[in-house]
Amino acid sequence: MEGLLAWLVITLIKIVVILAIVLGVGAYLTLVERKVAAHIQRRPGPMVVGWHGLLQPLADGLKLLTKEDLFPRYGNRFLYNLALVMALVPATLVFAVVPFGPEFEAFGIKVKPILTDVNIGLLLVFALGSMAVFSIALAGWASNSKYALIGSMRKAGIIVSYEVVITFAVMGPIILAGTLSTYDIVQNQIDQKLWYVWLQPIAFVVYMFAMLAETGRVPFDVQEAEAELVTGFTVEYGGMKFGLFPLVEWYIEVLSLSAIAVVLFFGGWSPINIPFLGFVDPLFFLGPLSPFVWFVLKVSLLFLFVLWLHWTLPRYRIDQITETAWKVMLPLTFVNLVLTAVFAPLIWR
Amino acid sequence: MPWAKGEDFIDLKERFEGLRIEEKPTITALHIEKERIIDLLKALKEKGFKLFLDHSVVDFPDRSPRFQAFYMLYNVDERKRVIVKTWTDGVLPSIEKLWFAGKWAEREAYDMFGIKYEGHENLVRAFMWETYQHFPLRKDFPLEGFATEYLPSLNEVLWGDNLQGLMNYDKMHTPVPTLEDLETTEKKRLQKKAQIVLNWGPLHPGTHGTMWFLFDLEGERVYQCDVILGQLHRGVEKLAENEMYNQFLVYTDRMDYLSALCSNQAWVVAVERLLGIEDLVPEKAKYIRTMMSELQRINSHLLWLGTYALDLGALTIFLYAFKEREKLMDIIEGITGARLTISYTRVGGVRMDLPEGALEVIKAFVKRFPKELKEWETILSRNRIWLRRNIGVGVISKEDVYFYGLTGPVARGSGVPYDLRKFEPYDAYGWVEFDIPVGENGDVYDRYLVRLEEMRQSLRIIEQCVQALEKMPKSAPFFAESPDPKKLKLPMDGIGLKVPEGEIYSSGENPRGELGFYIYSTGGVKPYRVKIRPGSLYNLCVYPKLMKDRVIADAVALLASLDPVVGEIDR
Repeated sequence: MEGLLAWLVITLIKIVVILAIVLGVGAYLTLVERKVAAHIQRRPGPMVVGWHGLLQPLADGLKLLTKEDLFPRYGNRFLYNLALVMALVPATLVFAVVPFGPEFEAFGIKVKPILTDVNIGLLLVFALGSMAVFSIALAGWASNSKYALIGSMRKAGIIVSYEVVITFAVMGPIILAGTLSTYDIVQNQIDQKLWYVWLQPIAFVVYMFAMLAETGRVPFDVQEAEAELVTGFTVEYGGMKFGLFPLVEWYIEVLSLSAIAVVLFFGGWSPINIPFLGFVDPLFFLGPLSPFVWFVLKVSLLFLFVLWLHWTLPRYRIDQITETAWKVMLPLTFVNLVLTAVFAPLIWR
Repeated sequence: MPWAKGEDFIDLKERFEGLRIEEKPTITALHIEKERIIDLLKALKEKGFKLFLDHSVVDFPDRSPRFQAFYMLYNVDERKRVIVKTWTDGVLPSIEKLWFAGKWAEREAYDMFGIKYEGHENLVRAFMWETYQHFPLRKDFPLEGFATEYLPSLNEVLWGDNLQGLMNYDKMHTPVPTLEDLETTEKKRLQKKAQIVLNWGPLHPGTHGTMWFLFDLEGERVYQCDVILGQLHRGVEKLAENEMYNQFLVYTDRMDYLSALCSNQAWVVAVERLLGIEDLVPEKAKYIRTMMSELQRINSHLLWLGTYALDLGALTIFLYAFKEREKLMDIIEGITGARLTISYTRVGGVRMDLPEGALEVIKAFVKRFPKELKEWETILSRNRIWLRRNIGVGVISKEDVYFYGLTGPVARGSGVPYDLRKFEPYDAYGWVEFDIPVGENGDVYDRYLVRLEEMRQSLRIIEQCVQALEKMPKSAPFFAESPDPKKLKLPMDGIGLKVPEGEIYSSGENPRGELGFYIYSTGGVKPYRVKIRPGSLYNLCVYPKLMKDRVIADAVALLASLDPVVGEIDR
């Protein structure tokens, strides 16, 4: 009975901590994005609200929350609101299986910094990832607008294509690790003294492509396409309802998929890896905090990489995106799968 | 002047009996009765006058037949222009089989004068809505319009008749289109054949202004497409008939508002040519005008580059381009005192001399701009995504250039080296060296490259102008002196400027194509009729053809590559 209570309390604490971090960080990533974009474009970015615009996300949030709640005529109100829930919940749920660090002991209780270490963690990630298509299709349909409909159809096409690609891309690391549990995948990389990116460069590149496509980042942001579709499926949403979609797509999903990428390819919380020899930790002075810092550092680097692409590249056309998925990316992942199957026994020794 | 000579048409004279050739220094016209006009135009097209420039009519209410129609044609290979004229009482044969651009010109003439065209496939109004009753450019249409609608302003509703002075103006107004009117217009333009009709515009970020596109979509593929123009129609041609020559100058700013200086220059050159004082304009004024309009060309192309990249999703280039554009605007503001609507040139010169230090600022700009340009090219020109979005999209063949009356960078992108700065040098263009870039395939990518190279060539011209201007003494005149003030008064504000009887078609090379002015003067201080040939309008008329069977994502790329400005299309 006591064990159950302790588990309940710990899980509740984990949920609160993860939710607070994810949503808070998600809001503040808007500021990061605006600052990065501004400096790429040779301008200072937000400077007025707080020191170097530090309070800008709060001001933006306040503005969005106080806006009038508009609803398009002849739209479907239930689906219109359901789309928001369908967007936010699956994207946040992914963090349930993201391991933030190694197991540690506090007050005599062993705690894994992962909400649920289920043994099908990765399956859960991609199952939840494909839920995003419902939110977008519903948003486009319920808005009763042609632009929204076209935008959501585009996005649905992309997600259908890239779900297949991303699933095959992560096969490689899964074969190497021999497990679907995210925590165990990291643990295996540490045990084998190998970041899987060294053996899976193809899978990593394909994964990055698919990640950009799924989150609607440039060069795959066709569902937004300001110029032709005036922000696509979100066109009929206003206020915070409008703000929620980019928050989910551009920040929470990018964060969660970056975290999964770090778990799969960069050894999660492990420090810098020298293949087959071991790990070098320049941050050893942080002691037990070091793994957490490494994890955050890697995720941030990946996120900044996405931002860098976003503010540099032009945009693909929808047919070119799906073409790349089926004709280039998918065959590549097949080749990678076969190669991995051949070389995997070397890793297992 | 690049007009064809009378002897060019000797063979035609044998074939067409009633043909009368009129040769003047400002114009070469062929007169023929309207029954044989199609045959004559066909013969001219075979002779090499392939490029369609313009068509409209001049209204003479007290003559019979009432309308004089004119067709402007150009022979690109021999660099000759000719104008074909005929008289009609309101019915003309349609030339849509010969030139597609003629179709749009005919729609405009139908809209503005009520001319009926026999054999026209879809004779609908060009700018006004379908249920509009009048023909605004006819001489009997009053300048203030027919006030039939009771449309009080909010103040008038609130205060009734208590409004004093200027606030209390007429409550009756010319009609504005209602929602039903617009629906009728839309139905008449496009018959739905595929799945959904997408209204793209009139206010849409991709249309670069207020254009109303109708896309009939099959999935995301465009089955057919049409444009509804007129959201920015201000009747500039009607205004021109009622303003003095220098007063009209300010309206040329507001036509193509992104290249105001070039439009200014084209207008004053046209008036100067009509007056015959082109040689009187001092060299300094000519160099200044040339330099300024080249600065404006870079300015305009920068806006094009920024919005084009923005349309294709490259957001950062937009800000890079606008940053440079801001510097250019500052230079222009320092010299002329205005940033957007400039009106710097005058008939006979420029409004004022260059301020001190202007040349140094321009030199500094010319020195550092190529570096910026190179950086942008590094980001875009060999970028794989950029290439995939651009190459092979919207191919315009050479024949299409003539058929659709395309000019400017769009024509040059398809390999037709039609550039009036070379073909018909005005101001200082004859004295400076520059090249005309032309494309090979005529796709969007070629037009992109052509415009980038044009910016470099503009820099070359500016450099040479600066060199020439530096050599001139500070006291050199910048405004023409009239040789005989009693015969020809040439004041700077243009008041009292009397233009003799005559007509002229003169054009300038705007950043968006040929901006031509057909001025028909019956003497006096105001023109009788001014027909403006907007480059953007004819460049846009190829758009529905290019859009067929393409997806919406290409719509923005194609439209931006044609680079229309609505102020000039609608006038």
